[in-house]
Amino acid sequence: MALPDDKELESIFGDAIDLTTFKQILEMDEPGDNEFSSSIVFGFFEQAEETFESMDTALSDKDLEKLSELGHFLKGSSATLGLIKVRDGCEKIQRYGKQENLDGSPEPDAAVCLERVKEALTAVKSDYEEVETGLRKFYKEDEDE
Amino acid sequence: MAEQIPTKIWVMRPKASATQIRIRPGDLVDDVRDEILRKYGNSLGKTFDSPDLTLRIQVGEETQNNQRSRTLGPEEDMVKTLNAYYPSGQTVKDALVIEIPRTSTTPKPSPRVPLPHSGSASAAYYGGDDGRPSETGEGYFPPVGGNTSSPRLAMSVPAQANGAMPHSMTVINSGHLPPIPPLPSPGGNRPRGHRDRDQRHDRQDYSRTGRTHTPSPNLHNGGGSGAGGGGGSSAIPNSASSTAANAHGATHYRSRHSHSRTHSSSSEHIVTHSGAMAKSPGHEMTSSARMGTPPPQRLSSPRLPSSRPKKSKRSSQQQQQQQEYHHTPSPSILTATVPPINVLIVEDNPINLKLLEAFVKRLKVRWSTAMNGRDAVKKWRNGGFHLVLMDIQLPGMNGLEATREIRRLERINNIGVFSTAPTGIPETTQAEELTEQDRLEGIGQFKSPVIIVALTASSLQSDRHEALASGCNDFLTKPVNFVWLERKVMEWGCMQALIDFEGWRKWKDLSAKAEAIEAATQRAKAQAYKNKTKKNRPIMSAS
Repeated sequence: MALPDDKELESIFGDAIDLTTFKQILEMDEPGDNEFSSSIVFGFFEQAEETFESMDTALSDKDLEKLSELGHFLKGSSATLGLIKVRDGCEKIQRYGKQENLDGSPEPDAAVCLERVKEALTAVKSDYEEVETGLRKFYKEDEDE
Repeated sequence: MAEQIPTKIWVMRPKASATQIRIRPGDLVDDVRDEILRKYGNSLGKTFDSPDLTLRIQVGEETQNNQRSRTLGPEEDMVKTLNAYYPSGQTVKDALVIEIPRTSTTPKPSPRVPLPHSGSASAAYYGGDDGRPSETGEGYFPPVGGNTSSPRLAMSVPAQANGAMPHSMTVINSGHLPPIPPLPSPGGNRPRGHRDRDQRHDRQDYSRTGRTHTPSPNLHNGGGSGAGGGGGSSAIPNSASSTAANAHGATHYRSRHSHSRTHSSSSEHIVTHSGAMAKSPGHEMTSSARMGTPPPQRLSSPRLPSSRPKKSKRSSQQQQQQQEYHHTPSPSILTATVPPINVLIVEDNPINLKLLEAFVKRLKVRWSTAMNGRDAVKKWRNGGFHLVLMDIQLPGMNGLEATREIRRLERINNIGVFSTAPTGIPETTQAEELTEQDRLEGIGQFKSPVIIVALTASSLQSDRHEALASGCNDFLTKPVNFVWLERKVMEWGCMQALIDFEGWRKWKDLSAKAEAIEAATQRAKAQAYKNKTKKNRPIMSAS
């Protein structure tokens, strides 16, 4: 598989992916296959889905601390892959979970925070699904080539 | 000054202003190349080694592409050759043309990839003959001032640099002094050609030695394009020279098709590549930091192979990217020689961990992993690590706490500098007694304090300070840029390899032995396999 050009990547992912970061991973692939990068990407899918589940649980448990932790966790890997929308969403969850506003100022009302986490989680899930579809398509097409 | 009577010869870079360099009778073309690198300390010296250069002698009138020319071999006697071609003496217009290999010096396509297609303005800019981006490794910087005419303006820069002749001459004449590359003064675009020419004969003109304090060059000898040149700190002063180099890239264009490929031997290409490699990461980062500034396509320029046909931009870009892609693994910076250090990767996210592992694997260094702070300290206590890549936010004991713990143990076990420098930490040296549980086993494994590079998710200055205060030596912001990471591993790894030279040598011997054994085993296996396949039908294809 040849390294796709930016236009192609852009048409698939729009602004959901930071191409610079993502291509850094693609460049780790051996020429001719994308085993490595796809293992990372599909590993991330698994991780993201598990994390979302844990987040749902934590949300129903009203466990803000846990939510913050999970947000941080997924933020790390989504940032590594360049999935900026997901990353930003996770950062929100991390912050709200810490009972902070986005600017870092404290938000004492836990109920407000939970509500915000809920919103953010819905948004990040949909961002994730979008980028997941794109990535699956990307790797599928490469297989077909 | 020199005992021998020096001769001056004219040289020039394509389309640029000619300049004179001093040679001694009997100097070979090879010696001349060294002098050229000193003379062009900024535009060439930082990127190229002297074997990279080729000198072309022109015969007859310069009429566009029709002129006949010949590339000089390194072993030719410079003076004799010139006398043969120009019996009446070499004049300015006979200046030898300095050429640099183009394709091979393209730095390794870096992870910082070209941004998506840029506006048509910048496309047009690159389409122009003169506006061609430099593809020789210097094109990292957006044009100074950002206007399209800058390459033109910059063309005068090398000439100016050459104008600092009196100074360079002094250096060259004294033979052994490290050359002090003349630095083009940024913004000094006034036409000074004539003045310079006059001054060239005035060797006592030291008026410009004041320039030498200009905070740029970190090259120490003529071919100083090695690792030392890549410091990110030199980014700003470099930009001036790199612009100059850009101009060269542009001006070199005309002769490229006929010469670039054919004249350099393959060994020269290799040398060049390593030079460019060492240089690229820092500069790359500099440009990426400026990502927001137009024209964004500038970023992509170092990646473009120079063999690009000029026709359709789109398709050629695609081609390049394919080429780049396939090239990536082989001339990659990742294959650069990193000292065989032992790295501990501490990262709690399996995805990130996997990526980092894959990365260090490529660097061919030994590594271990830990997924939390406590585990990291435990692994570290086994000894033998040179470098720790430490994620900061970890579950349980976080990276900063782990770092503090490691530093504490190093201190009370008197490892490395702490044993001889108690004054820096007076309050702890007495307070802490070495307890049995803190005693490090196999103290011989701890030659020096381990280098800890913090991986921080935020780029907040306060976080960095906190990391450094905890005892980290350095930090990287996540997502980790591989170019940076490699630089860190290289930098710190080299330092550690120097400190633990004995250990390193031992390891090298061991690994050489291991390799030999491995190779022998492989051979034996292959032999056995062959024998086997004679009897049986092969099931697998031969390896």
